[in-house]
Amino acid sequence: MSTIAAQTTQVYQVFIKATPEAIWDAITRPEFTARYFYGARIENTAERHRALSPDGDVWGDSPTFEYDPPRRLVHEWQSLYDPELAGEEPSRVSWEIEPQDGGYCKLTVVHDRLEASPKTAESVSGAGWMMVLSGLKTLLETGEPLASA
Amino acid sequence: MDHMTDDDRVFKALADATRRYLLDLLQSRDGRTLGELESEIAMTRFGVMKHLRVLEEAGLVTTRRDGREKLHFLNPVPIRLIHDRWIDKYTELRVSALAELKSELEETA
Repeated sequence: MSTIAAQTTQVYQVFIKATPEAIWDAITRPEFTARYFYGARIENTAERHRALSPDGDVWGDSPTFEYDPPRRLVHEWQSLYDPELAGEEPSRVSWEIEPQDGGYCKLTVVHDRLEASPKTAESVSGAGWMMVLSGLKTLLETGEPLASA
Repeated sequence: MDHMTDDDRVFKALADATRRYLLDLLQSRDGRTLGELESEIAMTRFGVMKHLRVLEEAGLVTTRRDGREKLHFLNPVPIRLIHDRWIDKYTELRVSALAELKSELEETA
């Protein structure tokens, strides 16, 4: 990835055997996110997206754009966990939960508006969002976070 | 969709050089139309569509509408899941086997 500019719109998708409500809770409540999101305690409300590190440092504090439980959540993204990334323009993260057959849901994460934030785009691509989504799937389907997360 | 065979779909989708090339194309620049992808491959439009459908069914490519255009995006999550499910498992086994060998050798030394 280092020789190629990271994408300014990134799309990630995963099928999870869980209800839309369970997925919604897992992405909006800090006691869940702490188990798969690099240890971050993230709280998403109709007003704010707030993320705290395990030590209580502020990793994210951005406005919520759309809040439609348990279907759609859109919030601003600014990576406050790294001074260099924190200096870049805010971008946007959208979560879509779509029920499928057989008790599955399709979860799509779109991270876009990254045109003015190349370092942020680079840092969330590669393992970034992939680790989050595979960890979330594992947590919801087995109740256990990934050993490496 | 039969989700019990997700891994089968991913392995099948990856077992073709053209489809791997399509993924590489999207990795170098994401969010492309069928026309853009077609122009990079010596193959009919129908052929490219067929390969893209296999990739979509495996979840390796997702599409989103942007106005009148349908854009194709690489979705790397299924590859990560294969990694977690298969690669991690076997590297872990090897590491623990080596760890056991070490403790056994050191005990008898």
